[in-house]
Amino acid sequence: MNSAFGVANEETFSPSVAPAQNSSRRASSAVAIAFENLGVVYPARLRGESPKLALKNLNLRIEQGEVFGFLGPNGAGKTTTMNVLLGFVKPSSGGARIYGLDVTDTASRQKLGYLPELTYYYKFLTGRELLRFYAKLFDLPQSEAERRIRDLLKLVEIEHAADKPIRSYSKGMQQRIGLAQALINDPRLLVLDEPTSGLDPIGRMKVRSIIQRLKDEGKTVFFSSHELGEVETVCDRVAILNQGEVKEMGSVEDLIRSYNLNLEQIFLKVIGFDENGNALNVAA
Amino acid sequence: MRSPLLITLLLVSACFSLAVVIEPRLAYAKVYQRHDKSAIEVILGEARRLFATHFYTKADVYFHSGFYPSIFDEATERDAHMATDAGAVQEKHEHDANFLGQPLDWIDRFSRAFFPSSHTHLDAGGARAVEKHDGHGREEDHDLGESGDVREILPWLKITADLDPNRIETYTVGAYWLRTRMNKPKEAEEFLRQGLKANPGNYAILFELGRIYFESYKDLPRARNVWEAALQRWNQQEASKKPDTFLRLQITSNLALLEEQTGNKQKAINYLEMAKNVSPHPEAVQKRIDELNTR
Amino acid sequence: MKKVLAIAGIVVKELYRRKDFYVLFIITVLLSLVMASVNFFNDDKIVRYLKELCLLLIWIASLVIAITTAARQIPAEREQRTLLPLLAKPVSRSQVLLGKFAGCWLACGGTLVCFYLFFGLLAMSREHSWPLLNYVQAMTLHWMLLGIVIAFVLFGSLVFAAPSSNTTISFVLVLSILVLGRHLNKVALQFSEPGRTITYTIYYLIPHLELFDVRDLIIHNWPLIPWQYWAAALAYGGFFSALFIWLGCWAFQRKPVN
Repeated sequence: MNSAFGVANEETFSPSVAPAQNSSRRASSAVAIAFENLGVVYPARLRGESPKLALKNLNLRIEQGEVFGFLGPNGAGKTTTMNVLLGFVKPSSGGARIYGLDVTDTASRQKLGYLPELTYYYKFLTGRELLRFYAKLFDLPQSEAERRIRDLLKLVEIEHAADKPIRSYSKGMQQRIGLAQALINDPRLLVLDEPTSGLDPIGRMKVRSIIQRLKDEGKTVFFSSHELGEVETVCDRVAILNQGEVKEMGSVEDLIRSYNLNLEQIFLKVIGFDENGNALNVAA
Repeated sequence: MRSPLLITLLLVSACFSLAVVIEPRLAYAKVYQRHDKSAIEVILGEARRLFATHFYTKADVYFHSGFYPSIFDEATERDAHMATDAGAVQEKHEHDANFLGQPLDWIDRFSRAFFPSSHTHLDAGGARAVEKHDGHGREEDHDLGESGDVREILPWLKITADLDPNRIETYTVGAYWLRTRMNKPKEAEEFLRQGLKANPGNYAILFELGRIYFESYKDLPRARNVWEAALQRWNQQEASKKPDTFLRLQITSNLALLEEQTGNKQKAINYLEMAKNVSPHPEAVQKRIDELNTR
Repeated sequence: MKKVLAIAGIVVKELYRRKDFYVLFIITVLLSLVMASVNFFNDDKIVRYLKELCLLLIWIASLVIAITTAARQIPAEREQRTLLPLLAKPVSRSQVLLGKFAGCWLACGGTLVCFYLFFGLLAMSREHSWPLLNYVQAMTLHWMLLGIVIAFVLFGSLVFAAPSSNTTISFVLVLSILVLGRHLNKVALQFSEPGRTITYTIYYLIPHLELFDVRDLIIHNWPLIPWQYWAAALAYGGFFSALFIWLGCWAFQRKPVN
């Protein structure tokens, strides 16, 4: 390991799924996530306000083994989509499924790992206690939980601070312990909400490498990000959301070939802005 | 710029010096004269009497082991039984044995198992004398009538006396129980003298003091002196208003008993004549006088 | 059940890592010892005033701990955004609420054991007796009262906007019921209709917390409460706790998480 958040080698992290030989191979044709005519309308909070349409008829399928980038400007509906997926918000119409299970079923989250954008955890717990707590919520046997905790602490390089209270952690350390708790149950599906937000370039590189590693292991990663460079590097497919609707979707290579632009330029064009950030008269 | 710390130190020194110079001069200024009052009096003012009343009632609550009517119960006006039993005050009102009455509903009925709901007196064993629903009474080795549990009311009487030193029955009730049940005549005398200091020449306190000399110390001359002083005070203080005949009856009856024991038959008869004038049962007093005359 | 207990464990850990309990316990001990040092007529057997003051302090401390701990559970999780990673796990909102209740209740039970142990030692130092069964009855009834209060406050934390308003309203309601609950039926008789019906309705609907306040029985050495009454009171308390938890689960299902 050559840095504070170095890439763990094969011996330090023993995933339950063997690493894929060919990183570009899709693991299976199982559908990991399915959004079916999903609509979310937030009711008006104040008198005189109109209800806010957050998502409109979202139809999306994400296959097992994909790394799927969910892009869009602020307020496009990305977080709302994730909140529906995680059961935080009830859809106004349509629905969503995780591996065939409705998202309102708590069992749908058994093989799901989630890293929120803003990572806050119980400040009075140590890192190790936090992971132990989450392991219990997944009904992991104690011996297996301890083994995973050991491996994950090594992976995210917080072994030295594992028994210190989280209140003493830096932001980067909190992000890392967040990643560890998202992986505690060896999830098949990982939902990451802006995983590199607030990290320095080294930290961002490490997160990218972990996502790549998970992809190699055949896991599905569904994440949102504003770092289009990272998205271009790791994602198989992307969807660009704006004002609650999917405006464009496809594999990164296909989009680049089709638009003959880089991903950032495609993003700006799709949401109706030119290269200089000026709004276009005609929507993309 | 000059050091702020140095300036602060200089200011503190200046203020201290000024205070040291001014304070002795102000101590003699009339407006700053210290009042001869306790901290409680200064802080609470006249509200301390309200607290004193509360704590006096608290002592009676303890006398009943917690069985006491609240402001919501339709009880007749109560006497403090610890005071009437002590002979400190005349019983004026009906003995309201059970203010609770019949339960009004199932909650009321059920709840009576969870708070004191029987009328007991601490000097008769208190709650230990009660048999509960399960039929198991608690047997005690000693005679419940001599129970020392009545000591539990004393802290509240002490606090009442501290809050309202002019409340006479606090001293007389406290002294009675100290003397009779606690076998602490010295403490009782001290308590009464504290009361006399706050209420100079009060005949009720003097009477109770006489009882200590008569019954506990067996110091008859001293008891006589104190009771005669009490009678004199009664005559002086009660002459101009509706007389407290109860206490006059007590004082004169006890003086008659004392004189009888010391062999002064005529004096005993004189005191009994005084008692007859204020007694609610003059024929009983006359019978006693006749017995003495025939002896 | 394991998930509920896991969440409960976090709540217990939080309470014992905060200073609240220790501060209140030390204050109770210090005040009780100061009261015990006062000399009343050179009699060292006087004990009931001390028991009353000590129990009063214990009740105040336990209510403060119970209400403040329960009131901040869900709001703190939302404010600190720890609720999101929690609900992203295969655990339902009802399990979260049950876990919070169990944790608060167990933690309060632990504090009660410490408080009553101190109380028992203090009383024994003067009375030279240890009415253990009486203390057990009193403590279990006290614990059940805290269960009702915690369940109510947790429900309140999902209804009221701010934890401070929930705390204030809960304190006021709990103290009002303790002081007035027993007497509402007598008060109702003083009113004409419709005041009488309203008062009676309140009287029958509220949880009668005063049933669980048996301090007078302990202070004045009353005999044991008949065991069937004690069990019935616990069942009564369990019913109200379950009711408030059920209402809390219902409210939590409808509440947005963020």
